[in-house]
Amino acid sequence: MKTLLSGTLVLAALLGLTAAGVDNAQGVSPPLGLPPVPIPEANPQTPEKVALGEKLFNDKRFSSTGQVNCAECHKAEKALTDSPLSVSQGINKLTGTRNAPTVVNAAYFKTAFWDGRSPSLEDQALHPFVNPVEMGLKDHQPILDIVRSDPDYVKAFQAVFVKQGEAVTMTEVTQAIAAFERTKVSGNSPFDRWYFGKEEDALNPAQKRGFELFVNQGRCVSCHLIEQTQALFTDNRFHNIGVGINNIKSDIPALAGEFIKAGATASEVDVKVLTDKRTSELGRLAVSKSMEDIGSFKTPTLRNVAVTAPYMHDGSVKTLRDAVVHYNNGGVTKKGDPVNDFLSSGIRPLNLSDAQVDDLVAFLESLTSPEFAQLAQATADSKKEK
Amino acid sequence: MSKKIVGITLIVLTVAVAIAGYVSVTWADKFTKEDQERWQAEFMTVVKAGRELWTSPTLGTNGVACAQCHPNAANTHPETYPKFQQQIGRVIGLRDMINWCLQHPLEGKAIDVNDPKMVALEAYVTYERRGVALDPGKH
Amino acid sequence: MTPGTVTRRDFIKGAGALAAASLLPVTSVELAFADPAENFTFAYISDSHIQQIKGAEFVRNWDRGLIRAVAEANLLTPKPDFVMFGGDLGQLGKKEELDHGAEMLSKLNYKLHCVMGEHDYYLDLGEYWSKLFGPQHYSWDHKGVHFIVLNSILTNDDWTLRRWPTPEQRMLEMAGLDNPNGSPFMVGEKQRDWLKKDLESVKKETPIVLFSHSPIQKIYKGWNFWTDDAEDVQALLQPFDTVNVVYGHVHQIQYNQIGNIAFNAVMATAWPWPYPQTYAQAESHLPKLTVPMNRANPFFERDATGWQFIGVDTGRVAVHYRLTNNTDRTVAFNRTKGRPEDIDYQDKAKEIPPQDHY
Repeated sequence: MKTLLSGTLVLAALLGLTAAGVDNAQGVSPPLGLPPVPIPEANPQTPEKVALGEKLFNDKRFSSTGQVNCAECHKAEKALTDSPLSVSQGINKLTGTRNAPTVVNAAYFKTAFWDGRSPSLEDQALHPFVNPVEMGLKDHQPILDIVRSDPDYVKAFQAVFVKQGEAVTMTEVTQAIAAFERTKVSGNSPFDRWYFGKEEDALNPAQKRGFELFVNQGRCVSCHLIEQTQALFTDNRFHNIGVGINNIKSDIPALAGEFIKAGATASEVDVKVLTDKRTSELGRLAVSKSMEDIGSFKTPTLRNVAVTAPYMHDGSVKTLRDAVVHYNNGGVTKKGDPVNDFLSSGIRPLNLSDAQVDDLVAFLESLTSPEFAQLAQATADSKKEK
Repeated sequence: MSKKIVGITLIVLTVAVAIAGYVSVTWADKFTKEDQERWQAEFMTVVKAGRELWTSPTLGTNGVACAQCHPNAANTHPETYPKFQQQIGRVIGLRDMINWCLQHPLEGKAIDVNDPKMVALEAYVTYERRGVALDPGKH
Repeated sequence: MTPGTVTRRDFIKGAGALAAASLLPVTSVELAFADPAENFTFAYISDSHIQQIKGAEFVRNWDRGLIRAVAEANLLTPKPDFVMFGGDLGQLGKKEELDHGAEMLSKLNYKLHCVMGEHDYYLDLGEYWSKLFGPQHYSWDHKGVHFIVLNSILTNDDWTLRRWPTPEQRMLEMAGLDNPNGSPFMVGEKQRDWLKKDLESVKKETPIVLFSHSPIQKIYKGWNFWTDDAEDVQALLQPFDTVNVVYGHVHQIQYNQIGNIAFNAVMATAWPWPYPQTYAQAESHLPKLTVPMNRANPFFERDATGWQFIGVDTGRVAVHYRLTNNTDRTVAFNRTKGRPEDIDYQDKAKEIPPQDHY
């Protein structure tokens, strides 16, 4: 009876998925290798909303100096990152503690930020505006003043949300930004064409060897998911892989205790983790207050990873090779260093040879979507020149 | 047909039947209870070999044996294979999961599908799970 | 509140202390007790199975389990009164293994009391273990509770002293959980006599917490989830009002109530064991009460392992299972029903998919 029930449920899920397959960013199928973009019921996509979101994304007036917009850290020409910066720079070139993740394919995450402190793209957009080292506003009022008075914005908000004046709130602003971000999806990389598209020659031999390592000896696939019909390259979970945590090892009891006693609200967490490096290393603990999450950070997607250097939550890992070597060492940057007590239990030394490390790097380079192929080439060339 | 041809055909047939009756191994469905018991015993030697491997500290490189986490091969769910195996990211069979365990918890190398060790392990695992209905695909 | 459902009020006295002890300051939790000084917590780490590969090389997986449990236990706020180690520190009872394990345990910031496990015992009958940790059975009193430690992994003299040609062979035979050459655990007459005498000076109303490696129950003989003289030991404890038995060995969540005795199993830091009912060829008697631990993902080596902090309030034990890579669980004494229960999942309707995978 149970089997019949679960079978029926599976069938129902499949049917539901098929129906949703058409309902995505702009009425087109998702890119090869990706599932349909999850669109929240409360925020459906329309071309006008997307255009409004893009305008808001690029508007420098939403900062205390009038110089910083979302694109400052998520530049279109840099695959929506600020590569090669390790940590981002906000107003007056103030630095934070975290590396800017790409917006590309961010729509597939279940939480936003390296520590997942934001449950949605809409919520995420609220925070940088009022962070002292990002846009530096005291509150969202200056933004609301502009969108309620600037004639272009007034027209757009009326058209998209049928709202004007006081009815235009940060909800509408962030919904538009999120809608724009949901169009930034890209798959169809050489890996996708080879694995899902069955194009035998889409990968070269080194990349194919790298794939084998990715799913076997390298153990990468367990967190950087590749599945039967799609590959998000993230499990949407949080893991301590030993980056940065070693800097605060002896401080963990004091830092964690202090932080929790303070009973910080979500916004306070946002400010604290970007302005205090040592607290920043606590990772998801700052959000969940659980021993489970000491030093844990979200598994990022590996799509387009060749153009989003440097790597990890603090941008401390400069190249893909360095990243693979960190894992090969079992969760320490320098081989032989002691691993931290709270290291994720999936991490351990991999015993990969130099040639195998190279193959894995080659495979990672095959995850670049065609729209960023030129950027990848330029990045590789500039490295060669150095 | 002429009487002669009929006659010759009859003789040929009779001889053929006599020979067939004398040499009885040509019948495919003739196996005896002794055969069955002998073949079952042959199977059990491989099950026994699988059990030896199951408790052996030398399958991997760290001295850990399958039986440490899977006493009597419990919690291996062989009846659910093939299935989508979350750790590997695709639909696999039992032998692929055995190889996964050899490579990861036991920190060893995968064994080839033609290696007699593989069928021995499969024989032991499934034997300890005998009687449980097939449920392929169940997570 | 619909009748028959379990309410948090049934648990609050036992679980209240525990909610506090997970990195939250104690003042943020309401403790509605007559005398707060009577209630306390202690940590429980068990079954580390430190396993030597060769020389100074040990199985990294089991080492990491003990290291993490110790590091997390040291973060507890408020501090536990003491920490127990529940047995099976080493895998084959070797000096190197016990030393390596003792070194890791030495990082704990609390007083340590140890329980003997069969993996510590059968190489040299506990000689080196005793040098490190002291007597194999003993008792003490703390804040009005009488604590007892038994060595409950003994077996008959014939098996122990005469059956095997070498101590190494004896240890190997007992090390295999499903080894048909093993022998059932027991407390034995000598210790039962000692227990009887020990209990003579304990008042009927004094709460008793007994630490044992084997379950002091008969759960599944094939895997030695078994104490052969369980009924005799239970009978000695029968006259007392409030008795708790905390046991290791099974590497899984189990809990039960037999008469006046509440039983709680603890997790291993090393690896999980399947529930006996997953062995299709045998009958087992897992306490029906137990809501199984959540399904583990073997890629995360710490999944389905863990350690626990235990609260004692007015004599009743409540166990908070700190499960790495998994959702923590709390099993506390339900005063209305008079038995231990999982405070979140006891009701079948509240079960989540990872608890239903057999």
